[in-house]
Amino acid sequence: MNNSARESILGSIRTHLAASPPVDNYPVNPANPVILSKTDPVNQFKESVEAVSGHCIITTNATNVLDQILADLNAKRIAYSDNPPNAHDIFHFDVGVSTAQAAIAETGTLVLDSSCERHRLVSLVPPVHIAIVNASAIVETLDDALALLQQKEISSAITFITGPSRTADIELTLAIGVHGPQELYVIVDGSK
Amino acid sequence: MKVSLFVTCLVDQMWTSIGVSSVEVLRRVGCEVEFDKRQTCCAQPAFNTGYRDEARLVARRFISIFEESKADAIVSPSGSCTAMVHHYPQLFAGDSKWLPRAQSIAAKTHELSSFLVRVLKKEDVGASWEGRLTWNDACHGLRDLNIKSEPRALIRNVRGAEFVELENADACCGFGGTFSVKYPEISLAILDQKIDAVERAGVQAVVSGDASCLMQIGGRLSRKGSKVRVMHLAELLNESSQQ
Amino acid sequence: MNHLSSETFKENARAALADVQLRGALKNATSLFGERRRQAAAGLPNWEDLRSQARAIKDEVLLHLDRYLEEFVANAESRGAKVHWARDAAEANSIICGLATERAARIVVKSKSMTTEETHLNNALEAAGMQVVETDLGEYIIQLANEPPSHIIAPAIHKTRRQIGELFTAELGMAPTDDVDQMTSTARMKLRDRFAAADVGISGVNFAIAETGTIVIVENEGNIRLTTSLPRLHIAVMGIEKVIPRFSDLDVFLKLLPRSGTGQRLTTYQSFITGTKRAPQDEGPDELHIVLLDNGRSRMLAHPVTRQSLACIRCGACLNACPVYQQVGGHAYGSVYPGPIGAVITPQLMGIAKAAQLPYASSLCGACREVCPVKIDIPQLLLHLRGEISPRKGSAAERLAFKIWARVMTSPSLYKLSSVAGRILQRVMPISRAWTSGRDLRPIESKSFHELWSNE
Repeated sequence: MNNSARESILGSIRTHLAASPPVDNYPVNPANPVILSKTDPVNQFKESVEAVSGHCIITTNATNVLDQILADLNAKRIAYSDNPPNAHDIFHFDVGVSTAQAAIAETGTLVLDSSCERHRLVSLVPPVHIAIVNASAIVETLDDALALLQQKEISSAITFITGPSRTADIELTLAIGVHGPQELYVIVDGSK
Repeated sequence: MKVSLFVTCLVDQMWTSIGVSSVEVLRRVGCEVEFDKRQTCCAQPAFNTGYRDEARLVARRFISIFEESKADAIVSPSGSCTAMVHHYPQLFAGDSKWLPRAQSIAAKTHELSSFLVRVLKKEDVGASWEGRLTWNDACHGLRDLNIKSEPRALIRNVRGAEFVELENADACCGFGGTFSVKYPEISLAILDQKIDAVERAGVQAVVSGDASCLMQIGGRLSRKGSKVRVMHLAELLNESSQQ
Repeated sequence: MNHLSSETFKENARAALADVQLRGALKNATSLFGERRRQAAAGLPNWEDLRSQARAIKDEVLLHLDRYLEEFVANAESRGAKVHWARDAAEANSIICGLATERAARIVVKSKSMTTEETHLNNALEAAGMQVVETDLGEYIIQLANEPPSHIIAPAIHKTRRQIGELFTAELGMAPTDDVDQMTSTARMKLRDRFAAADVGISGVNFAIAETGTIVIVENEGNIRLTTSLPRLHIAVMGIEKVIPRFSDLDVFLKLLPRSGTGQRLTTYQSFITGTKRAPQDEGPDELHIVLLDNGRSRMLAHPVTRQSLACIRCGACLNACPVYQQVGGHAYGSVYPGPIGAVITPQLMGIAKAAQLPYASSLCGACREVCPVKIDIPQLLLHLRGEISPRKGSAAERLAFKIWARVMTSPSLYKLSSVAGRILQRVMPISRAWTSGRDLRPIESKSFHELWSNE
């Protein structure tokens, strides 16, 4: 490839660093552990999802809840992450249904891993996304989730989802549902 | 407690009552005040405009003069000038001869309100002044020297004074040294935000710890025909019902 | 595109100050952003520790940038990414245009990338015959308006909803409306088919993890995910300073960036992309190419004061806090990077000659330093740059004035004389118009404090 550019840039970095006067190490205070809320993670997760305009239902019968939501939405074309439609067709689907491999209580975030399911378009293109996550897969903090992801080799695509898509680019006025889904439903399966 | 006054060139030339009041207040709280007449400037104008060699010339003189003092502290009625002295170690970084001297002088130099409250532990200097007033946080004092609660504590003890917090008290007044004349329209635009807040506060006086901010704010208030006056903290603290 | 130039900052600022609509928009936006940031920071009791940690991590990386870059590249390549090195803007554009042309690309979708604005990539792609579509709503708006961005994270902040509505009606045939949801739907609809048809997706990179070869990109809208999932080729462009050492370091940065930028705990989406898909039938692009851009960054490593410029995580908090930016907005700076951070990196990236005014366009109030999540001491940087510029580029009159000033200030007799001279001058000469055009000036005291003391 362009090795001369590589060598030139690395060389420039080394030369300029070498020219720099020595500097004291910047003092680091280890970050104090954040005091977590006393609420249990599942309820905290629900509150966090709702705080970002998502819907969250805790249930022991996820299938029923999913069917109910789909019925309420009058969903006709439903895309499932275990067998997603192709990249052209998916634009004509009403709802995308996926699971989530983990979730973060403090922020209401879903963690989706491409090595576990084909989530990328199903959770993005249709105007509604429904995600099912096991209650036992909810971790408390962002830090916990990052550690979890490092327990195996990092997958090629991991997505964190916190609420439906949004923008404030026009006069800082919040508009929900820009390029991603306008509605997010999270079903927490307490049976597992 | 013996104090050596660093009056600042701006106060010396343009606003002597700040210097006079500072001396009287310091004496009232029991300090012996000396004034080394050889002093001129802290070098801030040159340093801020990028003329470091010239700044060093003047800073070396400042250090040499004040080194000779036997006083316990060097006290100044200016946050920005005090902050400049605290920057002397940066100015002489790598200079094995001047760096320790710069550090030593910087450690001894205090802004007035910070000296009264943190060093002398005095929040009440026996002042009185009738009227409604507010405080403008001067940027260098606030952000370089962490001066925020000290002036407010001192003002709250001024008998008869009704203190109101200014909206965005910590917003810059737009002076910024040569910035005020290099970019006058921007300086004025920033200043007018401050003036609007002062007018909304409905006060008779704006108090601050830096003559430069007072000139900026006062200059605009008087141009607009406002009755609101500007006062340096030292002048306020020197007010008493006897006067 | 009618870019204003950094060289005419003063005139640009003057024009901005006269624009009532702009000033209103800026006031609303910066105060809202500022308040949201403040609240978000207050919500984390260890905020100050996080800032120190983030800065320490960045300092560590920058001190060993060559090593961390090599580690990142090795790991990214082991996962199937192709990495290109670009010494300057022209080289980056040439690489990217080459990649697109080789694959007979016609439509390019882009998500917001300051780095590609820095290189003027869109012009190069269009010159090579491609249609380039900005997909971030703010960027889409300014692309339609043919204007540069005015803020690092909210590029169209200078436009009112009415202006945007009128723009959409004129350019997209939208029925006239002031309703933000309607405008957003219009943009969504128009851009959907561009995503579907695009051959190439170009994105920026927020963080590049050396340990795993992962690129991390954050957003609220979903356009980055579409840009990086649908087209067959994904090109990610990043400045060489975007590297962070370990995956776990993301905790610190993902806590600081959204809070500092928009006051959110997390933006809606974070994409963690490591190389290419494992199997051909998997979702996602067939190819990932990462372009590493130097363009003057390596030079900044030479001094600890300038090196900290490279710690910037592009949150925009300094812009919102800056009294100068609040009054004049981003266009006046004439640079892709406006505000306080722009005032220090523009002269360093573009050369002092092109941006000599910018380091002086500051009152040195320090509000930027207070809000910077990685504790960049911007006033220190501004003073450093002024120290480089003034002795060489200051006007002859100014250089002389300070030489005289130094003489006066180091000689008691000259100092005494100068105060006498000052009193006379102030009476007979017109005082600096720059001051007195808007402010009264106190007369010089008839007796200096020195003289009063003598009389004690």
